[in-house]
Amino acid sequence: MIQVMSTFEHSVRLELAISALEINGIQKQNIFAVPLNNRTVDRRLLDTLHHSDGVSLFSTGAAIATAFAVIGASIGFSLQWGPIYWGLIGATSGFLLGFLIDLFITRVVKKRSRLLKGKNPQVILIVECDNKQADSVEDILWHYLALGVARVET
Amino acid sequence: MDNFANLTNQHRRYKAHVSILGTTQLHLRNPYIIAWWSAAFPGFGHLLLSKYLRGYTLFIWEVVVNVQANLNAAMIDSFQGKPEVAKADLHPRWMLMYIPVFIFGIWDSYRTCIDMNNVHLLAERENAPFNTYTVGATEINYLDRRNPVMSVIWSLFMPGLGQLHIHRILTAFFSLVWAIVFLYKSRLLEAVQFLFLGDIHMSTEVLNAEWLLFMPSVWGFAVYDSYINTVENNKLYESEQRNFLRKNYQSRSFRIKKGKVVGR
Repeated sequence: MIQVMSTFEHSVRLELAISALEINGIQKQNIFAVPLNNRTVDRRLLDTLHHSDGVSLFSTGAAIATAFAVIGASIGFSLQWGPIYWGLIGATSGFLLGFLIDLFITRVVKKRSRLLKGKNPQVILIVECDNKQADSVEDILWHYLALGVARVET
Repeated sequence: MDNFANLTNQHRRYKAHVSILGTTQLHLRNPYIIAWWSAAFPGFGHLLLSKYLRGYTLFIWEVVVNVQANLNAAMIDSFQGKPEVAKADLHPRWMLMYIPVFIFGIWDSYRTCIDMNNVHLLAERENAPFNTYTVGATEINYLDRRNPVMSVIWSLFMPGLGQLHIHRILTAFFSLVWAIVFLYKSRLLEAVQFLFLGDIHMSTEVLNAEWLLFMPSVWGFAVYDSYINTVENNKLYESEQRNFLRKNYQSRSFRIKKGKVVGR
């Protein structure tokens, strides 16, 4: 017997892979999936009651951008560049200011471990099959964009 | 046709619902940010919380009373340091009714946000099954991963498109309609055309300041709402798939065996 181990991101392709394996004669009880807790998903409730991960770098920026755009456009009516340019300047500078505030808070004040850049393995999928089937199982896993695949012979 | 119906009534709280008109979900939100959006434009805080009817009521109330009271004109004159002109702008017949509803919008969205955060925590722990797929005569909606950057870009081009991207039909339609009204009444696009021709003076001249002042809030809201909801929909998709895998692909009889990794 062979066990083919693989890692996937959460996506509809993972379910396509499982369904393709089942069509190819792999029994449901021979497929074992382990969803992993990724770093930022594993959140402490009290710390995040007023925050949701990944969003916080955006909230303050959007809020200050809107405020500065209103003020910039208003004052812009009596300035040489006019309200549109000053509104855009207000929005951009407001967003950058808010973004920097949030960045400072997360990087310096909270020092929270953030999600690694790029694709992360989120699910471990183990498929048990005969030696004969191993090639086709591995092909199916790669075809549906497994991040890594290895065979273990027992 | 839905893939889940609450027929047995055995669950207490659901954290999400996928329907023809959109994916509604409870997730953690910062109550100060929600309160801020209600201050920027009454109704936006409630729309962010998926409380559409309250949001629509407050939004339409804001447009009517603000325009009648001449409030935006008074704001512009105040920001320019002309309080005397600002005083003359305002119509007291309308202005005083503005204040209580404006404050109610901020207070109510703040309060609702904290309540819904608590409900979310309970619903998350209960982890009840919910509807994740629907197909009907008018639309199809399902959980999916989408790119939040695309929501931002489309919202910048036109408020409402980012919401269409993630199937938030109620906010999308509302934002699109009001963006048309504000863009048309403010003559913003004519002013942009003058800027392209290099005529800043004519560009400023053609603008209707009072209506223009609605647009920054609409743009900011459209970008923020579509961005956070794309992120939250993606998280919901992942958590639903995790539940599905745990339920279906963790057979008790499965044994992980020791052996050697075979190279290719």
